[in-house]
Amino acid sequence: MLLSAIHARRRLAALCLTLIGLSTFASTASAHPHVWATVRAEIVVGENHQITGIRQNWTFDEFYTAMAVQGLDTNNDGVYSKQELAPLAKVNVESLKEFDYFTFVHFDGEDDKLIKLKPPVDYWVDYDKNVLTLHFTLPLETPVDTHGKPVAVDVYDPSFFVAFGFATENAVKLAGADTKGCSAKIVLPDPETAADTKALTESFFTQLGPNSNFGSQFAQTALVSCKDSHL
Amino acid sequence: MKGPGAALAGLVLLALLGFACASPAQAELKPITPFGAAESAPPPAFGPRPVAGAFQSRGPLGGLFAWVLDKQQNLQRTLALSVKNLKSDHPVAGALTLAGLSFLYGILHAIGPGHGKTIISSYVVANEATVRRGIIISFIASAVQALTAVALVSVLLFGLSASGLTINYWSNQLESVSYALIALVGLYLLAGHVSRLWRTWRGASEAGHAHANDGHHAHDHGQDHAHHHHDDHGHHSHHGHGHDHAPGEACDHIVDARQLAGAVSWRKMIAVVLSVGVRPCTGAILVLVFAVTQGLYWAGVAATFAMALGTAITVAALAVFALGSRELALKLGGSGGTWTNVVWTTCAIGGAIVIFLFGALLFAASLGPARPF
Repeated sequence: MLLSAIHARRRLAALCLTLIGLSTFASTASAHPHVWATVRAEIVVGENHQITGIRQNWTFDEFYTAMAVQGLDTNNDGVYSKQELAPLAKVNVESLKEFDYFTFVHFDGEDDKLIKLKPPVDYWVDYDKNVLTLHFTLPLETPVDTHGKPVAVDVYDPSFFVAFGFATENAVKLAGADTKGCSAKIVLPDPETAADTKALTESFFTQLGPNSNFGSQFAQTALVSCKDSHL
Repeated sequence: MKGPGAALAGLVLLALLGFACASPAQAELKPITPFGAAESAPPPAFGPRPVAGAFQSRGPLGGLFAWVLDKQQNLQRTLALSVKNLKSDHPVAGALTLAGLSFLYGILHAIGPGHGKTIISSYVVANEATVRRGIIISFIASAVQALTAVALVSVLLFGLSASGLTINYWSNQLESVSYALIALVGLYLLAGHVSRLWRTWRGASEAGHAHANDGHHAHDHGQDHAHHHHDDHGHHSHHGHGHDHAPGEACDHIVDARQLAGAVSWRKMIAVVLSVGVRPCTGAILVLVFAVTQGLYWAGVAATFAMALGTAITVAALAVFALGSRELALKLGGSGGTWTNVVWTTCAIGGAIVIFLFGALLFAASLGPARPF
């Protein structure tokens, strides 16, 4: 009796080990980026410290750039003009909609309550010194009042196909009518805080799927806060 | 993470590079610093551009993830630089550097995610008895992926002078095809395993005869199975073993289970390899297109295969690890025939299910909205 109990436990342990082994190699199979984008953002602050939109420049890596501009020099003059790149900008911006523009705006600490964005306006792509930069402005559906709470703008690709990182210099600026008393800074993910539970607890199947959230643990944030001058 | 980590990584990289590029021409190698200095030796047209900061990540493994990510980014930049260096004064050294870096990129790339290694490992666990075959399959699958990438880019760029958007489109199509095929292969493997299992369980005594034949069959195909057969023969010839099972019960079940998974089948192997290989590796396409835009098609092809070699090594390592896990499970469970059966059946059925689910899930995902980049 005792012997068979020991056996059973050993077998259970062995089965667990196998499962752990299997899931380890499967989950190390979490997303890795193929495209790198360096982000610079401009937060548009309107009257009364209301944020009305986010302007962004995404500068891509040379590999993606080579791929993207391939065949677009239609007049073969060796220059990729704004007109020649216009179709690319259109495709990029239009398909970004399905991915929430990789831009997630919310009050600091309220990651789940996303502030709605309108489709990009004023967008174009330029090519300079081997790299492509996508410029676009995302208007907020309704301007957001910064009174009280800082507003966070996370730029990341949850599926981590694209690795977004803010630039080391001039990563975020303020623009617009009423920037006085406001400041913006970049916040990097803190290694000390626990990873997003969603990113870690999701099964490896969802990690590979369209709803993967692996990229969130690398998410970088532009944090905007305004001192309320009226108080 | 930055200081000593980067220095260490640099050393490791250099050591690997030295290994990868060990050749008489090594002395000519231009001192390209693997990390950091990439931006400091720009070609004339290279102007200031926004520089990305180091990545950070949350959680206990965050530091490691961020470090790997940074290395990957630096590697890719250095790769771009080395392609450009090919056009400079030291084409041979440049080519070797490119090959070495691509090889590393392949290894790193495969350590990250990707379904290829999951599918291959699952297949190997479910179907293969030997490490040798696991490794061979990993290498063939990587080679097929490289071939697909080269074929796709060559046909589209040179045959049809297609744009980058078109290449992207077709590579996404092939991706969907690959996922669908993987799901089908998973179903095919599952059907095979289940039907064999069913036949085994239906009649133990008839099965005894049938299995003797099966045993011969497998034996003809490869010596890999010789070891197991020895065991089997041993059991068969010494009936007074001390076990109290009826003839044709536990012992034969070991045979069943091993053959359930183990029958050497080129057809199955080719199906798996092709289903995985039809999808060109995104990294390879990027490097290849980049090389072509620099007017260095053959360097790109070489880089693609160097990358595939790197990927193959990682995939093979994972497959071997998976096989090791299975062996461990077999050993830990003791010598009981039933246990052996359970492990083999679990691996065979479980592996097939994993392959099917991955294929189906990725296929569904691939039909979603097109990625902007």
